[in-house]
Amino acid sequence: MRANFIFSEVWIGLRRNLTMTIAVIVTVAIGMALLGVGLMINSQISGMKDSWFDKVEVSVFLCKKNDPFPQCKGSGGVDAQEQAALKATIEAMPQVERVEFEDAAKAYENFKAQNASNNVLISAIQVEDMPESFRVKLKNPDEYGAVIEGLQGAPGVSNVINQKEILEKFFGLLEKLRWAALTIAITLVFAAALLIGNTVRLSAYNRRRETGIMRLVGASNLYIQLPFVMEGVIAGLIGGVIAAVLLIVSKVFLFDSVQLYLGGTAQLSWETVASAISLTMIIGVLICVFASFVTLRRYLRV
Amino acid sequence: MIHFDNVTKVYANQNRPALDHVSVDVDKGEFVFLVGPSGSGKSTFLRLILKEERPNSGAIHVAGKDLARLSNFKVPHLRRRIGCVFQDFRLLPNKNVYENVAFALEVIGKPRRFIRKVVPEVVELVGLEGKAHRMPDELSGGEQQRVAMARAFVNRPMILLADEPTGNIDPATSIGIMKVLDRINRTGTTVVMATHDAAIVDSMRKRVVELEDGKIVRDQSRGVYGQAY
Repeated sequence: MRANFIFSEVWIGLRRNLTMTIAVIVTVAIGMALLGVGLMINSQISGMKDSWFDKVEVSVFLCKKNDPFPQCKGSGGVDAQEQAALKATIEAMPQVERVEFEDAAKAYENFKAQNASNNVLISAIQVEDMPESFRVKLKNPDEYGAVIEGLQGAPGVSNVINQKEILEKFFGLLEKLRWAALTIAITLVFAAALLIGNTVRLSAYNRRRETGIMRLVGASNLYIQLPFVMEGVIAGLIGGVIAAVLLIVSKVFLFDSVQLYLGGTAQLSWETVASAISLTMIIGVLICVFASFVTLRRYLRV
Repeated sequence: MIHFDNVTKVYANQNRPALDHVSVDVDKGEFVFLVGPSGSGKSTFLRLILKEERPNSGAIHVAGKDLARLSNFKVPHLRRRIGCVFQDFRLLPNKNVYENVAFALEVIGKPRRFIRKVVPEVVELVGLEGKAHRMPDELSGGEQQRVAMARAFVNRPMILLADEPTGNIDPATSIGIMKVLDRINRTGTTVVMATHDAAIVDSMRKRVVELEDGKIVRDQSRGVYGQAY
C-alpha cells in the first residue's frame, strides 16, 4: 500500500469536486456542532439540576402593612402571634426539613446583592418595602404540593412561591432547546450523508477511466475504493474540526456567560466539551465512511 | 493456460447466447487469433477469461485456476497475471508515457525502485525509447497503442488479451503493433487477439479460432482469416 499514491488521488478528487466538498464540510460542521450543543445542553441540565434542586426552597411571604395581596387587605400586616403560629404549623409538617425566617433587612441585603449594578432600583426600594418570609427547605423537593396547599391563604400569608416550579419552567425551556438542536442535528447528519454519497458518486464518475484501468490491471478493491472513502473521511474530519471550534466558542461565549448570569452554579466542564467533541467527531467520520461505502457499492463495480 | 469446457453465456434480456457450448484449449506460449464478425462472441470470450462476466454453464480454467471457484476477493490477483489491450487504447490523458505505464504497477502496490527499473525496459521493448515523457495526445495512434501494450506487459503477465488492437490504426502502423505482440509472445506470454483484420491474420500464420453466432466454426493451427470475408 503506497500512502502517497492514495493521498495524491484523494487530493485530486477533493479539488475536482471543490464545491461539493465545501458543501459536505459545511453541512457536517453545522450538523456536528448542533449535535455537540445538544449533548452539552444535556449535561448542563443535569449539572444544574443537581446543584439547584439541593438548594430550592418554598418561600412563604408574610403580609405587610398596606400589602396589595387580597388576603392581606385590612389586616395591617402580620402580627407576632400569627407569625409564631405559622412557624409552628410549618415545622409540624412532615415534609419540611427546616424553616428559616428572613426579615426585611436580610431580604433587602439579598435584593441589593442581586441588583448591585442597578442603582436606580436600589435607591427606589426601601428596607420597609421588602417582604418578610419563611424559607422552607423540603426533605424531598418534589413533595411541595401539600406544603403549598396548607400554607396558601393561611392568616398572615401573602403568597407562597415554590422555586422548583420556576426552575422547572426554565429547565423545560432548556430541554426544548436540546430537542430542537438534536432534531436539526439529525436532519443535517442525514443531509450530510446524502451529500457525501453524491460527492463520491461524482468523484467515481470523474475518475472512471482511472478506476477502469485499476480494475483491469488487478488493483485490489481496497486500493480502488480507499481514495473515495478517504475523500469522504477528510471532508468529514475538516467539518468535525470546524464543529469542534464552534463547540469551544459556544462553551466560552454562550454556556459560560449564561452560567455567569445565573450565578455560576454549574459551569460546563472542559471534560464535557471534550467528550462532546470526540463523540461528534467519531459519529461524523463513521457517517462519512458509511455513506462512501454504500455509494461505492452502487456506482463502482469492482 | 486457458481452458473452456462447454461454456455458454447468455446476457440478460437476450435470447441468443453470446457463446454457445464453446470448448477450446490454449496452451502456454501460444498465439491465437480469435476471428469472426461483430457480435460473434469474441469480446465475451475475452471478458470471461478476466472474470468480468460469469458463464451460465460450463467451466473455465485460467492459469490452472477454476474461475467458478475463484472468490471475488482473488479476482484482482487473477487480473494481475493477464494483460489487456483494447482498440481505444484507454490511456490516462493527464499522465505521460512513463506515468501511464508506471500507473499499472503503482496501483498494485509495487515498490518505487522496482517501477523505476522495469518501466524504461518495457517502454524500450515496445519501441518508444526517447518518448517516455510525451503526453498521449502528442503521440500517433500506433504509438499510443504501444504505450497501452507496455502497460499491459509491464507486470510480465502470463496471458495477454488484445481486443482488436489494430482496429483504430492504419495497416502500415499495424505491422509494427503486431511485431511488438510477437515479441511479447516470444517471451513465453500466451497471446489471444480478437481481430477483424484479415491481412494481419493471413500474414502471421498463427492458430485461428473462428466464432460465428457464439459457436466455434473453425479452429486451425497456422490458419488464415478465411475466404468469406
